[in-house]
Amino acid sequence: MDATTVLAEINGNIATVGYGLAAIGPAIGVGIVVGKTIEGVARQPELQGRLTVLMYIGIAFTEALAFIGIATYFIFTG
Amino acid sequence: MTPQPPARRPEPSSTPVFRNILKYGTLLSVAIAVIGGALGYVLVGANGLVSALVGAAMAVLFLGVTAASILFANRVSGADMLNPAYFAIVMGAWFLKFLVFLILVFVLKDQPWIDGTVLFLTLVAAVLGTLVVDLVVIARSRIPYVSDVTLPGDTERR
Repeated sequence: MDATTVLAEINGNIATVGYGLAAIGPAIGVGIVVGKTIEGVARQPELQGRLTVLMYIGIAFTEALAFIGIATYFIFTG
Repeated sequence: MTPQPPARRPEPSSTPVFRNILKYGTLLSVAIAVIGGALGYVLVGANGLVSALVGAAMAVLFLGVTAASILFANRVSGADMLNPAYFAIVMGAWFLKFLVFLILVFVLKDQPWIDGTVLFLTLVAAVLGTLVVDLVVIARSRIPYVSDVTLPGDTERR
C-alpha cells in the first residue's frame, strides 16, 4: 500500500459528514435572520410586531431545509 | 401621592398570527397524516400506515415548536424582543428541538415497524405544506406598522 492510499483512507459512516453539511447551512441562515431582526428592532422598535412575524418565516424556511437534510438518513443507507 | 396602577400589558400584535399558524399547521398535518396513512397502507402495508402517522406527528411537533416558543417568549418578555429572555427561549427551543429530532431519527431508523421511504416522504410533504400554510396565514394577517411601543407619559402600553 503506497503513501497516497494510506493518507486518503477514511473510516466510519460518510453520513456523518452529511449531517455536518445539513447543519452548517441552517445555522448560518438562522444566525443571519435573527441578527438582522435584532438590528431592525434596535433601529425601529415600533416595527417589532411585523419583524417578529417576518423573522418566523425566515426561521421556518431555514429549519425546513435542516429537517429534510437530517431526515435523508431514513432513505440513504450507509 | 397615590401609587400608579401597574401598566396593563395588552396582547402583543404578533400573538394572534402565531396562534393561527399553530392552528392551521395542526389541521394540515392531520390531513397529511390521513392521506399519507392511506397511501402508505395501500402501498406498503401496516408499516407504511404507522410510518406516515409518525412522520406527520414529527412534522407538526417540531415545526410547531418554533411558533409556540415565540408565543411563550412574547408572554414572558412582554413582547420586548431586546429582553434577553426572548431569544434565550426562541433559540433555546430551536436548539433542543434539533437535538431531540436527531436522536429520534437515529432511534427510529432501526425499528422494524418503520418504513423509511414513507416516513421521509410524509415528513417532506408536511414540512413543505406547513411552509405554505405559514405564508398564507401571514399574508392574510394584518399587523399595524406601529405596535407594542410605550411613549413617555403613557399610563398603559399600546
